[in-house]
Amino acid sequence: MTVQLIAMQLFSGLALGAILIMVALGLSIIFGMLGIVNFAHGALFMVGAYAGLYVAGLTGSFWWALVLAPVLIGLFGMLIERFLIRPLYGRSPDDPLLLTFGLGYVLVEAVRILFGTDGIPFSTPAALRGVVNLGIGFFPLYRLFVIGVVLAVLLLLWLGLERTKFGLIVRAGSADPLIMRVLGVDISKLWLVVFGIGVGITALGGVLAAPMRNVSPEMGTLVLAEAFVVTVIGGMGSLAGAVIAGLIVGVAVSMTSLFAPEMATIVMFALMALILLVRPNGLYGRAAPGL
Amino acid sequence: MNEPIMSVANVGKQFGGLIALRGITADFKEGQITAIIGPNGAGKSTFFNILSGALKPSSGTLKFRGADMAGVPQHDYVHRGIARSYQITNIFPNLAVLENVRVAAQAFRSRMNIWTNRGVYEDIEDKASATLAAVGLSGRAGTLAKFLAHGQQRALEIAIALVADPALLLLDEPTAGMGPEETREMVALIEKLAADRTILLVEHKMKMILGLSDRVLVLHHGELLADGTPEEIRANGEVRRVYLGQNDGYA
Amino acid sequence: MSVVRNVELAPPSSRRGLAVLFPGANRWRVPLSVLTLCILPWVLPSQALAVNVLIYGLLAVGYNLLFGYTGLLSFGHAAFFGAGAYATGIAIGTFGVNWFVAMVVGLAVAGFLATIMGMLAIRTRGIYFSMVTLALSQLVYYTALQASSWTGGENGLRGFTVSTLSFPGFSLNFLDPLVKYYAITIVVALALWFVSRALNSPFGAVIEAIRENETRARACGYNVERTKLLSFVLSGILCGLAGTLSAMHLSIVPLDSLHYQTSGLIVMMTLLGGAGSFFGPFIGALAFLLMEDIFSLWTTNWQLIVGVIFILFVLYLPKGIWGTLISWGKGR
Repeated sequence: MTVQLIAMQLFSGLALGAILIMVALGLSIIFGMLGIVNFAHGALFMVGAYAGLYVAGLTGSFWWALVLAPVLIGLFGMLIERFLIRPLYGRSPDDPLLLTFGLGYVLVEAVRILFGTDGIPFSTPAALRGVVNLGIGFFPLYRLFVIGVVLAVLLLLWLGLERTKFGLIVRAGSADPLIMRVLGVDISKLWLVVFGIGVGITALGGVLAAPMRNVSPEMGTLVLAEAFVVTVIGGMGSLAGAVIAGLIVGVAVSMTSLFAPEMATIVMFALMALILLVRPNGLYGRAAPGL
Repeated sequence: MNEPIMSVANVGKQFGGLIALRGITADFKEGQITAIIGPNGAGKSTFFNILSGALKPSSGTLKFRGADMAGVPQHDYVHRGIARSYQITNIFPNLAVLENVRVAAQAFRSRMNIWTNRGVYEDIEDKASATLAAVGLSGRAGTLAKFLAHGQQRALEIAIALVADPALLLLDEPTAGMGPEETREMVALIEKLAADRTILLVEHKMKMILGLSDRVLVLHHGELLADGTPEEIRANGEVRRVYLGQNDGYA
Repeated sequence: MSVVRNVELAPPSSRRGLAVLFPGANRWRVPLSVLTLCILPWVLPSQALAVNVLIYGLLAVGYNLLFGYTGLLSFGHAAFFGAGAYATGIAIGTFGVNWFVAMVVGLAVAGFLATIMGMLAIRTRGIYFSMVTLALSQLVYYTALQASSWTGGENGLRGFTVSTLSFPGFSLNFLDPLVKYYAITIVVALALWFVSRALNSPFGAVIEAIRENETRARACGYNVERTKLLSFVLSGILCGLAGTLSAMHLSIVPLDSLHYQTSGLIVMMTLLGGAGSFFGPFIGALAFLLMEDIFSLWTTNWQLIVGVIFILFVLYLPKGIWGTLISWGKGR
């Protein structure tokens, strides 16, 4: 086992981490602002991948799929917020969770009807095929591209949150929704947009993952569990936490698959259990409200 | 009776970088009614939460009947004789009124028994009924607590704390949101309760406090600004300036 | 934080209090439930359906202790159902023990697993709890997938059967569908009796207080964490019991019985029937399985219809079928 091999595995761990960040980001954004856990998250990830498949089929271009599918599914997310989730505000916090679980159930079945139950291969766009020599070894170009997109999304999110008026409102709103009412900001519009953005990012994750994972109606089930692991480790609602936790989990999984491949999936859940023992609120989590 | 029932020494509390309380020292004598007042943000609720065990102080010590409370979990406070009520009504909304009080009384008899029918503890139920009668809620025993009127919920709130028969009763704004009539009734109730226990309360209604309390503590910016009899507090120029002066109608 | 979900009055605890409002229902709820279960095989379209109602109903009853009465929304209870099933199957298939010992093993393993998972999950609150229980149960799922020499991996556990239930002096033919049905009913009846006692006990009062208002329950002098853990473990053991019955009934344990989709199924059944009501979970299991039976005649995509119905329940009938009937009965 050479140093080179380990370095290479470390790098693929970071790449896997980038995908996990993408998987968890939408969940974390929605929780941070609206305080609800979207249990349809995995299903929307899958729907995003299918939307990408559909748009790519229509236009013949991966690039259109990458742009249009997240926008379309983001708009669909806004419809979900407006008509299914909004009636539940003010009720038990469990209700949106139950509803989105049912929604995930419905979405999976709807996709089975529209696209069939079998997995569909999604080919890597020609321009992104092949491998790149990183000096420590060869690495698939497409994975590098994914890392690039994730970095761009994170940068945009950061700029959007820190440098725009909208971002200011979002940050203030997630700190104290009451202040928004006092200031006269229409919080329901804000929640609508934030939910749409969260779902859109989730769908983008689905499109990006499509060439790496087989596109199937069940592809979202693992995604939901992965996203939970990352957000629980990172701390709910914390973007920085999601990034750090994504990278930690990615590297842990990648390193484990080098030494004990059969343990690779198990290790991320075990890691979460360990973090819970030490820091029940996650690495960057705020203390749970309500003493 | 000279031993203080509770003594607070140099108690401070920080939340991250925010200092909510600094260096509060005070002794509470048995049998007195003490009021804690102060403008919003003075640290009253933090102080109150520390006294009732909901928060642990960042520094300083809290002693109850001479015993350090540092390692005592919140749920043991009531077993040692400290019970509290809440400012925002904090009852069990979907349980019957009697059950609200009964379950509070039950904590002294059985907590983890999964086998005995709870109906066999008749003494608990009698105690709960008696406490309901004491706060004037006997007629509503079978109603779900959420259907009570606001004033009745406040009374239930007190009954839940009272059924523990605490030596030290902490009342967080017992008359919050009450009209004059309900307030008068509550004051009468508190005076009745004070006959055989120590009471500490946080309040805003100045006239009521000055008439009811034996002693008043004034908090300001997390510090103890004044500590004395209602007359002394009324005469204290500093207190007038930072707090009472803002509101001419206090007396 | 108080999770205000339910509905049904606390089990009448009092001579003068609630018993006045709702006389008799409490004392008779176990016999009435068992009687209803006894006639199921004669009124349902198939006996296979009736057995499933028994097993999934028990599963939902066990889950309801935690969700409906303690107010904790777990998405990981498939782990206990599956653990009970696997442990029983392995005990019979690999170690050749008799059915009774195998059941005890199933309960013990489910209880042990629930203790571990509970201790971890109860450190978290609110929505966090749901996510953590889901993720921890997936840890169990993937462990079972990898430990294929014990569990059969993806193919599930096979190679064990219970054909007779032997007692000292007599034995029952477990292959006869009706004998099997009533044998399982006896176990379910015992479990219901246990649940009913637990709900009527002081502990039952405390978990409802915690559901209604955790902060206040703590201030009243209850160790909330320990009480939640006890509820979690009892609930896990009951779900484990459903698992052992399922294993003995089917003679296979599918890997999916550990998956969080199964947890979701339990949640859906409990909510459809009425979380926090005594018989609601059986109604929920019955409703769900009947819908599956009927809709799957028309379409392979019956889950779409069931999912939509579930969403409508969350939106408009959060008390579930039985819970809504109960509150109508009380005139509120």
